[in-house]
Amino acid sequence: MERLTGRSAVITGAGSGIGRATALRFAAEGAAVLVVGRRAENTEETVALVRAAGGRAAAMVADATVEAHVESAVARCVAEFGGLDIFFANSAVTGSNTPLLEQTVAEWEEVNRANVISCFLAVKYAGRVMTAQGRGSIILTSSVASLRANGGAISYSASKAAVNSLTQTAANAFYGTGVRVNALLPGLIETQMTRKVFDNAKARGTEGKIGHVNPLKRAGQPEEIAAMAAFLASDDASYVNGQSLAVDGGVSSTHPFGRIAL
Amino acid sequence: MGLRLEGVVCVVTGAARGIGLAIAERFGAEGGRLACVDVSATRLAPAVAALAARGIDARGYAVDVGKPADVQAMFDRIETDFVAPVGVLVNNAVWARFQPLAEIDVETVDRMFAVGLEGLIWTLQAAAPQMQRRGGGAVINLCSTSALQAMPNSIAYASLKAGVLGLTRAAAVELSPQKIRVNAIVPGMIGTPASVAQFDAATLATRQAQMPLGRFGEPGEIASVAAFLASADSSYVQGAALVADGGWTIAAI
Repeated sequence: MERLTGRSAVITGAGSGIGRATALRFAAEGAAVLVVGRRAENTEETVALVRAAGGRAAAMVADATVEAHVESAVARCVAEFGGLDIFFANSAVTGSNTPLLEQTVAEWEEVNRANVISCFLAVKYAGRVMTAQGRGSIILTSSVASLRANGGAISYSASKAAVNSLTQTAANAFYGTGVRVNALLPGLIETQMTRKVFDNAKARGTEGKIGHVNPLKRAGQPEEIAAMAAFLASDDASYVNGQSLAVDGGVSSTHPFGRIAL
Repeated sequence: MGLRLEGVVCVVTGAARGIGLAIAERFGAEGGRLACVDVSATRLAPAVAALAARGIDARGYAVDVGKPADVQAMFDRIETDFVAPVGVLVNNAVWARFQPLAEIDVETVDRMFAVGLEGLIWTLQAAAPQMQRRGGGAVINLCSTSALQAMPNSIAYASLKAGVLGLTRAAAVELSPQKIRVNAIVPGMIGTPASVAQFDAATLATRQAQMPLGRFGEPGEIASVAAFLASADSSYVQGAALVADGGWTIAAI
């Protein structure tokens, strides 16, 4: 199955984790991928992995929260690969677990810039190219923390809920243009961002209990998010628009199985 | 990338036409072996013949999914016929009427719920042990945007489809230990003859204008979602309701 043959994609936060797995998956399905991240060694490693698997990719060091950088990433994808069909706005930060009553505006501004403004910029600059060409798929990484409490830091949860809303409002703003906007809501996935959770569990000897609050009783792998991203990027999702799609082992559709300290 | 449903026995109810037939075609194209269920043997025969003509391993089963004993017997027969347990179940069959409250009658409601909601319990009950024997499976229930946002004359239908969502989540949590994933697809307005026939031209035009994608969906656009949910690509998606409505339900006005 090569559903993305001839298509070009920008992926932010593609130096590791979900972004890297998605770069590999998109390329395996035939897309050329601009691998965007803040650290050159990480983006270059992703590109090397894509190329080793026979795919096409280029690395770009950029900050997804800086307007000029996002504009350049879109321009570079168009210049280098001849177009922009897919933008996966995936970079994010977790926010701090400071008690709510002690949190600062500065912390909230940082989280919102990283998680919400980055998505706005993706929608703005990818949207300009895509609405003009009359097609395209924009995918924003949200989180199950946007749907329920206790799924992440408080500022993180609020910022991801904003991403869900932006998904709806942007899809609606692109009315009739053929451009689709959807959000992808991972549950607990084993990545660099969630490393602490896994390390802490290991230290306590409770590693086997990770993910036990969801019906599938396990954490997810980046490849399982990449598979959803590939679906949303492809024409298989041609009638899926404005949606927030959970990939969480069922945690958001059931009562928690049990609250286990990780 | 290879075929995602290679060799998997897939049961699709309401498979003789529309969305059900499109799902059978897509699953077949992805390597699945198809047990096509429909209440009408007459409708089913040409559909199964067309699938077989494409080289798909397809068989027809003329069964009313509202009858539990018939459903159990059918699943036993399917396992015998395919010499393999069922791996994928798509509950797509539905029988529906749209009536104003005062005109709703017992016979209509009984039949709607027997086919469109109770039938899901019987197929799940029969399919789950087979899926468990093969180490897991995927169940896909067809819902409707009527379960999320209401329109007139849909009291019975909205209740029925909201019931499908509840059933999906409950089955997901209960069947997880057996590695059976249960998810729902929530289609918006799909341009099948049966759905378009219910409305006049003006209503259809208004509907289309309300949708961000500006058009009704095609049965194949639901089939592609079903293929995702049936395959290992959705291995971490459980108890979810995947809306495919062109964005119809995202706007307040």
